[in-house]
Amino acid sequence: MQGGSNGIGYSLKYQARCIADVKADTDHTSFLTGTLSLKEENEVHLIRISSTGTELICEGLFSHPNEIWDLASCPFDQRIFSTVFSSGETYGAAIWQIPELYGQLNSPQLERIASLDAHSSKIKCTLWWPTGRHDKLVSIDEQNLFLWSFDTSKKNAQVQSQESAGVLHSLSGGAWDPHDYNALALTSESSVQLWDLRTMKKTNSIDHPHVRNLDYNVKRKYMLVTAEDESGIHIWDLRMLKFPVLDLPGHTHWTWTVKCNPEYEDLILSAGTDSAVNLWLASPPSGDKPTSESFDSPKSVDPLLNSYTDYEDSVYGLAWSCREPWIFASLSYDGRVVVESTKPHLPRK
Amino acid sequence: MGVDDVLLDDKAKRMRDLLSSFYSPDPTSPSTTTPNASSRFATLDTINTTTFDADQYMNLLVQKSNLEGLLQRHVDMAAEIKNLDTDLQMLVYENYNKFVSATDAIKRMKNNIVGMETNMEQLLEKIMSVQSRSDGVNTSLFEKREHIEKLHRTRNLLRKVQFIYDLPARLAKCIKSEAYADAVKYYIGAMPIFKIYGDSSFQDCKRASEEAVATIIKALQGKVFSDSESIQARAEAVMLLKQLDFLVNNLKVQLFEKLEQFLVDLHLEFKEIRNASSDLGGISVSISSSAHEASIHEFAEAVRAYQVIFPDSEQQLFRLAKDLATKHFEATKQQIKKQLSSADLVAMLRVIWTDVLLMDEVLPEAGLRDFTFEAAHDAIKQYVAGRFSHLLLDISGTLVKVHDNQKGVIEEECPLQAALEISKKALVQGSMDALLDTRRLLDENLEVLSRLTDLIIEWVREGFQDFFRNLNDQFLMLSGKKYSANQDLTFGEGTQGDKVLPELVLLLAQLSVFIEQNAITRITEEIFSFSGGGTRGYETSPAFIPAEICRIFRSAGEELLQHYISLKTQKILIVLKKRFTTPNWVKHKEPREVHMFVDLLLQELDTILNEVKQILPEGLHPKHRRTDSNGSATSSRSNPLRDDRLVRSNTQKARSQLLESHLAKLFKQKMEIFTKVEHAQESVITTIIKLFLKSLQEFVRLQTFNRSGFQQIQLDIHFLKTTLKHTAEDEAAIAFLLDEVTVAAAERCLDPIPLEQAILDRLTQAKLAKNSEQSSTSY
Repeated sequence: MQGGSNGIGYSLKYQARCIADVKADTDHTSFLTGTLSLKEENEVHLIRISSTGTELICEGLFSHPNEIWDLASCPFDQRIFSTVFSSGETYGAAIWQIPELYGQLNSPQLERIASLDAHSSKIKCTLWWPTGRHDKLVSIDEQNLFLWSFDTSKKNAQVQSQESAGVLHSLSGGAWDPHDYNALALTSESSVQLWDLRTMKKTNSIDHPHVRNLDYNVKRKYMLVTAEDESGIHIWDLRMLKFPVLDLPGHTHWTWTVKCNPEYEDLILSAGTDSAVNLWLASPPSGDKPTSESFDSPKSVDPLLNSYTDYEDSVYGLAWSCREPWIFASLSYDGRVVVESTKPHLPRK
Repeated sequence: MGVDDVLLDDKAKRMRDLLSSFYSPDPTSPSTTTPNASSRFATLDTINTTTFDADQYMNLLVQKSNLEGLLQRHVDMAAEIKNLDTDLQMLVYENYNKFVSATDAIKRMKNNIVGMETNMEQLLEKIMSVQSRSDGVNTSLFEKREHIEKLHRTRNLLRKVQFIYDLPARLAKCIKSEAYADAVKYYIGAMPIFKIYGDSSFQDCKRASEEAVATIIKALQGKVFSDSESIQARAEAVMLLKQLDFLVNNLKVQLFEKLEQFLVDLHLEFKEIRNASSDLGGISVSISSSAHEASIHEFAEAVRAYQVIFPDSEQQLFRLAKDLATKHFEATKQQIKKQLSSADLVAMLRVIWTDVLLMDEVLPEAGLRDFTFEAAHDAIKQYVAGRFSHLLLDISGTLVKVHDNQKGVIEEECPLQAALEISKKALVQGSMDALLDTRRLLDENLEVLSRLTDLIIEWVREGFQDFFRNLNDQFLMLSGKKYSANQDLTFGEGTQGDKVLPELVLLLAQLSVFIEQNAITRITEEIFSFSGGGTRGYETSPAFIPAEICRIFRSAGEELLQHYISLKTQKILIVLKKRFTTPNWVKHKEPREVHMFVDLLLQELDTILNEVKQILPEGLHPKHRRTDSNGSATSSRSNPLRDDRLVRSNTQKARSQLLESHLAKLFKQKMEIFTKVEHAQESVITTIIKLFLKSLQEFVRLQTFNRSGFQQIQLDIHFLKTTLKHTAEDEAAIAFLLDEVTVAAAERCLDPIPLEQAILDRLTQAKLAKNSEQSSTSY
């Protein structure tokens, strides 16, 4: 459990909350992070792991007009990403393109190729179509869900459909189902809502309050992982929404975010405000096995594989690398990016 | 001598051969047929054969023998020839003599036969006359003889008729003298006649005798049923009845039914015993049990009689005996279900055992003992299991009651403390009672029980193991931690749907600790003290593992405490959330007083403190607690107090300058905020406050403030600092966290200009004054 820092570090100038894996970059393992500073000029950093794997190199540094609350990389074009930003009372979301000639590191301007400016309340996050070249994009504000149609060549985004979740459910985030591209899970004050994008209607909900973040298991269909303020991490089977199939203790304070590994089944990463990142191996009982088995063996293996505790502040940003799925990047509030390899902790297969 | 013998033999042999050749039908033929053969196999021995060739013999002799030999041979041969001649002569004479005597005999016979014919004729005549005479006599006497025979037959018939006419009277006489055996014999003798003529000539007679027989049957039946008669007599009676073609099977069934009825009655009685024993206590038990014993004795006798009377009925009786035992055990099981004390159980088992012994004497082959052992095995197992489930129910009942009390807002001085005491007592007392009960089972030296001793001990251990495991499950379920897989459990229906009360969770947590630290050891001691003589040692017993139970409850205790804390913090969280999401912080107005959410929080803290103080013990070394929390991690972060003071002074000075606070943060060592929670008041309170402050910080970080908003936060924090100082144990950490909140607010502020210290103090004082005023008016 020693949080020994085998990880490679990289420091941003300011505080930051969000980091994203650049999925479309197939040649390098790179991440995008955005800073969160009220008074200074905010920046977007494009970081790449050096070919030796021992260093984090800044590949690009771009100024961003407002503090960045959410950042998502385009799954098909490594130069495109979206941010959610606000400062004071202003808020917005936009799709940006990294300029062609960003070799010179003198803070070149990002090209804003589209702004998602149909929102009337504070925007929470943007979600890209999970994989492949697709023009769909979702943005979520406190009350509404927008489905955008985004044209890269024309460089504009249009609202395709929009639906309100109701004033009472203040939405806080969401995730796109990688198994069913029409399904979307949104977190709200009192429940997790499951939406169908074709009808733009809520299809189901998990009545479980205080869900802060959620992620679909990429490898297992119907498996949804949620992180809560108090109760740690829950794993749900979307076919049985009454009770979670598995509980993990989570963090000592809020569990801020959870991320399922894109390659290794049941490998889950969580970050919390207790300045720690926990690596879990959680195998929920699969359907064909009788559930009683789990009662028979009370001495189950500790699902916690490792706890990385070498952080100075709360960890808000977390991203698995798609290219090298045993690698993840974490971002603590003090602006420190740490890239770690989970390889030493993975169970031998 | 031998030579003589041989010679004699030779001689005799030759004689015989010669005679045979003499008498043989065709003596010449062999000699004629084999001249060649003789020539070929010529030896000196051929002389006696039929194929003798003289020339050859001569040649041979001449060739082989010398002169002397030849001469000798010659002499011998001459002598021999002479001998043969005399022998021949002798034979001829003898034959002749025989022939002569035969002719004489024939002659004599001829003379004798001549007179015999006349004698024979005379004899024939005489025999003929004798025959005619005897015929005459026969014909003359025939009629008389016929008559006599007729008379005789009639007489026999008359005698029989007389017997039948006399039969009723005779039977009556027999009945009177109770000579039923004779009566039956008579009646059976008369039976064939009745069968043939019963409908016509002897109607009356038959009826009368049948009546008599009926009385006999009745008498016999009575005899069979009467218990006073000797078994022999009853067996005889049954035999007689069988002879009378009476349906004995019916009788058998009846008798058997009687036995069964007896059994049923017995059990009614038995129940009365139970009732009596529960109502009146020991004396009546002994009285009624002696009565019961008597009746069982009777039953055993009856069974014995039945067995003798109907020897082929063993199987039925076995069944009956087993029924007896089964009924006994059913009654026992009923009682067990009603939660009887072990003394009662022992009493019941004793009664059963004496009964069984009695029955076993009567029916040794029924295997009743084994059957009883099995049944007792089951019953005791059930008893032990029942005992523990009752215990579990009792305790959960207590807890539910506590739960309901909590819900029903019953104002007591220290409701939680009382509840804890009650449930502790319920637990320990219950367990001890259970142990004592089972121990009583072992103390009785009843054969059934002593044979089961080891098993009972085993069951008790298992029972405890299961009991504690279930208790743990129940705890978790009550606290809402565990989604019970089977929601339809008897208990917890009321609690499942409702919101879980944090107090109850705390109570359970403390109870778990109590179980782990106190109850288990006591129970373990108790168990091993009474099973000390048992075959299994402390280590080898797989059924009850105190260490495992302790482990379970330790983790349960921690889990529950954690759960309590999280429930509480959840409550606080809602307050915080409302506080931070409702106002528009960017357009916040200047702070006038400490915001009321602080009051809410303090109130919440007070209730927590109240609850915690009731139940949890005080920490032993509150000031040293921090060092042992979270093991080495804290110790590596040296001297947090000094750091903190540094931080505080730094932050206070540098409140206006963010950069400096950043710098301070860079230099100070990371504070260990989240330490392991312990079952102590201070630890819990501190943990909750820490969590609350951390949450506060996180909420602040999510907002953007204008100057007034920041100042409001600053004011609130300042107020909290003064109030929390006394409640929390880990002052340094608390202070650090409070500062962190202020720093976070400053960071998220567009224009972070803090309030003057003097204003802060003034507003804080005002708030304190107001609070104390409020509290004084409320009392």
